[in-house]
Amino acid sequence: MNSSTVPPEPMGLELNHKTILGLGRYQALDIDGMQAETLAGLLRQMLRLRRTEEAILHEYHPADEIRCPVHFCIGQEAMPAALSLLVEAEDYLFSHHRTHGYYFAKGAPMREFFAEIYGRVTGANQGRAGSMDISHEASRFYGGAILSGSIGIAVGAAYALQHRHSRQISIAGFGEGATEEGAFWEAVNYAGLRRLPILFLCENNRYSVYSDQTKRQASDNICERVATFGVRARRIFGNDAALTHRTLQLEMEAMREGGGPALVEAYTYRWNSHVGPEDDSDNEYRTVEEIAFWRQNCPIRLLEEKLTAAGRFDSVRRENLESEIAAEIAENFKFAKSSPFPHIDDWRTANWNPASPLADRLLETLTESEFDQYQAEAKLAPY
Amino acid sequence: MHLTESVHRPLSYGKAINEALRQSMELCEDVIVLGQLVDYKSGVFGTTTGLADRFGPGRVQDFPNSENLMTATAMGAALAGLRPVVVHQRFDFMLYSLDAIANWLGLWYFKSAGKSDMPVTIRAIVGKGWGQGPQHSKSLHAWLAHLPGLRVAIPATADDAKGLLMDSVFSQTPAVFIEGRSLFPMTTNVPEKPYRVRFGQATIRRTGCDATIVAIGNMVPIALRAAAALERDGIQVEVVDPRTISPLDTATICASVAKTRRLLVTDPGWHSFGVAAEIVATVAEELGGELKAKPVRVCLPDSHTPMSATLEEQYYPEETALETAVRRMVRL
Ligand SMILES: Cc1ncc(C[n+]2csc(CCOP(=O)(O)OP(=O)(O)O)c2C)c(N)n1
Ligand SMILES: [Mg+2]
Repeated sequence: MNSSTVPPEPMGLELNHKTILGLGRYQALDIDGMQAETLAGLLRQMLRLRRTEEAILHEYHPADEIRCPVHFCIGQEAMPAALSLLVEAEDYLFSHHRTHGYYFAKGAPMREFFAEIYGRVTGANQGRAGSMDISHEASRFYGGAILSGSIGIAVGAAYALQHRHSRQISIAGFGEGATEEGAFWEAVNYAGLRRLPILFLCENNRYSVYSDQTKRQASDNICERVATFGVRARRIFGNDAALTHRTLQLEMEAMREGGGPALVEAYTYRWNSHVGPEDDSDNEYRTVEEIAFWRQNCPIRLLEEKLTAAGRFDSVRRENLESEIAAEIAENFKFAKSSPFPHIDDWRTANWNPASPLADRLLETLTESEFDQYQAEAKLAPY
Repeated sequence: MHLTESVHRPLSYGKAINEALRQSMELCEDVIVLGQLVDYKSGVFGTTTGLADRFGPGRVQDFPNSENLMTATAMGAALAGLRPVVVHQRFDFMLYSLDAIANWLGLWYFKSAGKSDMPVTIRAIVGKGWGQGPQHSKSLHAWLAHLPGLRVAIPATADDAKGLLMDSVFSQTPAVFIEGRSLFPMTTNVPEKPYRVRFGQATIRRTGCDATIVAIGNMVPIALRAAAALERDGIQVEVVDPRTISPLDTATICASVAKTRRLLVTDPGWHSFGVAAEIVATVAEELGGELKAKPVRVCLPDSHTPMSATLEEQYYPEETALETAVRRMVRL
């Protein structure tokens, strides 16, 4: 695969947020040759994420027990669902502020997720991080709210993996807005330079809060720009879960064999406000038609209808799936709500790890220091 | 381990740093060094010389001029099991990485609720003299010490430089290691074998009963020379070198001031809102009513660094400034 060219656009159209709207109902979803297990998995993961988000949305107000900013990913389920079927336990996954999909994609537990956003001691981070900053060390999942900040850390994990000739990869998930940060381009340059095993996943949902991509970027050609750094880049219609799965699979398999870094830009859309359950449409930043287009092309619906038409899914299976997911969510909500709140006894040890086992093992401690006071401080030589 | 019990020899500050890196890399293959020009023969002012030859390019990496990414890369690598040492030729260059330091590195352990460590060491060299000017001479160590979750060392001697650097490399908490460029040729007796100096343990460099000078980094030799001059006039000054400003050994500082009841703090940073202010405030909280004189700060003026040699002389405080201040305190 040539590292510096953008592969052909699917459907032969110049894919961007304007041309997409001309598609009407998306017809290109193709499941030929895909395993039944994969397709069922995609549907299951998307539905589980959707129902989880809906449950949080529903619970958020008026109960006000979830007291942290929450960025919902309803409408953007295809990418995390595809990723969840392909990512391995030993891979590293780093997420931007819209963490939920990625948290679940990495297989991190739902109970610690709910407990975290409820601020409980049983949470993934004992209530210190919340929705935006949640991490789950045992699952090698790390979130964080500063745009593009975690991408460089993902590069570092990829550096260590390459250093150890590991087949594992590092993955960074973020929005198109993060690509405006200088930190992003530093990361892309270094990934291309060293051919690091890092997968950049850019979910382009058009907006940074309310601001349109074309108000912020000279051109909406992220892939083209990234490709010039020697990072394979391809853009896809991101609500097609089957296509997303095939694309990620191709990239991840190549990467595990030393194929170098890649970026996948998935065009998608968030249905809800940027943050929180309140409606932000009074800012008049997007049209009713645009929202209608994307709701019509709901990633779950697109796949479900295709599977149903092919006789591979039906209402009975749907009901079973729904009740299974509902039970899981209900149980984990209950766990979170009945968990105790945390308390920090010592702020200092909360911020520092006082243990240093390796230093204890390797190093003796020098207890004194001496100094000859009559040495003049040196003047610098010309720099 | 006592210095006298160890096999030791005089070594310069710069060479002690080089030895600390070499021994760390010998002890543990997870230790890597990242920084601009670290793999050239000249090394970074000699501190990385020979490492690339010895340990290969995989462990000693020249890095693009991307300081923010360099810190982030070290963080990710640490998360995945390595122990990176990041080198900045100047503290000023490190400022591009403040997001990585303040928004990620310092709070990683806290945010993970103690489940995730980031053993990253960041070396930052502070220029002084020869017209370094305002973008090659800043020491914003107080900024760093202000951040929870980060340790900050500012060693004044070669033996401390080696021991604190090795402690940084092999501990779990991230550390910023601030090196005064003007100290590089100065020598002390340095044990040959690997060792650590503990963070948060000040050392008393000279004992005295009339006044305490707390001296930071490259103000330590200056304070010691001032103390020697004052002794000739019968004024006994105790010189405390905190060695690390985060954690800060307030107990040793307060014990000294409780004895001398006079405090001067000298810090190679700006006068206002700095480490000196923090130390004076801590002492005031502990023993404010017991002081025999008002505490004094001798720091850099609240101004950016000038280039011209004559202005540099005016800008950087020397022992005479300390002597004058102590004489005034003692006379009262
Ligand atoms: C460095 C930084 N600047 C600004 C913000 C505030 N902010 C939070 S989310 C966001 C929008 C980001 O848009 P995008 O990256 O496209 O992700 P999306 O929210 O669309 O998923 C902004 C500006 C931030 N978190 N970090
Ligand atoms: Mg966006």
